[in-house]
Amino acid sequence: MGPADYREERLATMTEDARSARASLAGPAPTAAPVGPRVVMSAKDVRLGFGRTTVMEDITVDMPAGSITALVGPSGSGKTTFLRSLNRMNDRVRGYWREGLILLDGQDVHGRDVDPLVLRRRVGMVFQRPNPFPMSIADNVVAGVRAHRLAKRSQLRDIAETKLAEVGLWSAVADRMHDSPFRLSGGQQQLLCLARALAVEPEVLLLDEPTSSLDPRSTEAVEELVRRLTPARTAVIVTHDLAQARRLSDYTIFFYQGRLVEVGPTAELFERPRRAETARYLGGEVDPGAER
Amino acid sequence: MAAGTVPVSGREGWGGDRFGPSGGTGSAAIARRRRLADRALWSACGLALALVVAPVVWVLVEVVEKAVPGWRWSVLWTRSTGAGGGLSNAIVGTFAIMLGVGVLAGVVGLGAGIYLSEIARPNWRSAVLRGASEVLSGVPSIVLGYVGYEALVVGLHWGFSLLAGLIVLSVLVVPYVAKSTELALGQVPLAYREGGEALGMARTRVLRTVVLRSAVPGIATGIIIALAISVGETAPLIYTAFWSNGYPTGALLHQPVGYLTYATWSFYDDPSTAVRALAFDASLLIIVVVLALIGISRLVVRRAQRYSPERAQGAGHRRGQVGVD
Repeated sequence: MGPADYREERLATMTEDARSARASLAGPAPTAAPVGPRVVMSAKDVRLGFGRTTVMEDITVDMPAGSITALVGPSGSGKTTFLRSLNRMNDRVRGYWREGLILLDGQDVHGRDVDPLVLRRRVGMVFQRPNPFPMSIADNVVAGVRAHRLAKRSQLRDIAETKLAEVGLWSAVADRMHDSPFRLSGGQQQLLCLARALAVEPEVLLLDEPTSSLDPRSTEAVEELVRRLTPARTAVIVTHDLAQARRLSDYTIFFYQGRLVEVGPTAELFERPRRAETARYLGGEVDPGAER
Repeated sequence: MAAGTVPVSGREGWGGDRFGPSGGTGSAAIARRRRLADRALWSACGLALALVVAPVVWVLVEVVEKAVPGWRWSVLWTRSTGAGGGLSNAIVGTFAIMLGVGVLAGVVGLGAGIYLSEIARPNWRSAVLRGASEVLSGVPSIVLGYVGYEALVVGLHWGFSLLAGLIVLSVLVVPYVAKSTELALGQVPLAYREGGEALGMARTRVLRTVVLRSAVPGIATGIIIALAISVGETAPLIYTAFWSNGYPTGALLHQPVGYLTYATWSFYDDPSTAVRALAFDASLLIIVVVLALIGISRLVVRRAQRYSPERAQGAGHRRGQVGVD
């Protein structure tokens, strides 16, 4: 099955309102759709930046459904900017611009009929530092459910309980559901944010260095949870921690100076990097391009 | 100094013990100079504090001394006559004015603050709005009162009336509400907004359910200041609401209204002792109302901060702002 057929097949499975987005897909044909696992998110010739600065260019990559993809690279390589462009979180950042296509299930996320609010429900996000809302623990979990009217009032408590149990926090907070989330430890707060993100049933979860402010045990809990999310959901994780990328992800993308240097199955990329910069970065060099 | 010794109490440790004996020539002099500078600074702070607190105490003592000895509870439920009586009409009028200003200035000020903080882009239009608001807060209240008199009482033929007073007072306090709302919203962490947006919440929903909630303490402070001003202002009301010995009838127009500050302003040099006493009674009542407002604002803030990070960190301690970043 060729890439074009593959795309058609995906289109056929799309929902009624999504189908009208076909027109926006008639543009450039995807270049690198791999044969095999279904691709849930992809970027085609993406170039983006702020004001006059180009932060990233030439990004074409597919993220297979049900996988964990790690984005690695030195600080300033653009991985977070790229991650945030997947659910259009950069839209309101001043001076942000983008060229090329970002596709969710084959649909252009910038398409005219795409509601960014619905997009963000389908593509959830967890941030570097835990950011619970200033409301009770229970209300935190269901904040998104309420916003999208995904459940009746009477079901909210059950949803909160289920999601907290899913992230492994239920036993710790069962008797203080109406307490402030800020009395929890940092790791518990991050798990709460994960429960909040999962409560709206996203298909893809974007994680921006979710463990960088956590202690080792909490890090382990978060990693364990992300692993359990797949293959039902797809995860994309930005991390500074190469060991984390290696033990957690199925695919790794290496960004360097705003370019996608190398992408591949994690084990392969770590053991037999094809590019010299990748090898140097994985070997512990902070600035892998310096010797060129 | 023995190696590894850690100074226990800050000042002595840093000043003498740690750097003094072992530091070589000159460091004892430096330490002394530091200690002096330290002491001078703390003294200056103490003096400033005294300068702030002293007038408050003075006013309280003066008013209580003059009002309490001759205090009659009947003041609270007796209307004023030309020659004495009580202040019940002024009390009701003051609360009516407070309520009206709270609603009018609250809605307009909150709206302006939200607009400036959340909607306006930083361009000339928002700069003009912000500038106008700042100028407005600098206009003397008596000028606003006179303008209100000319425009509303005379110009629109409203006569001395509750509405004219409410509008002039609201114009006076809207800048405070707008500014405190804008500042409070500006301090809400970006992480709250992004967290809401990342869930697919609409901006207005994020504002309503997350952002405003954590800005309540600042906004409440602004509204309380506005209410306190509306209780305490005199000049704009003399021009617009004037005074009445009767209760407010609920009519917005053509009905003068009494209020406490008028009693203080007008009765203090009256030949009659009974009327002079009412001036101090009114002062005492104004102070009590303002203190009550401050107390209520504290309660509102406490309730609003139930789920704030600051509250969680300070749980069980009465540490104020220490340790809160």
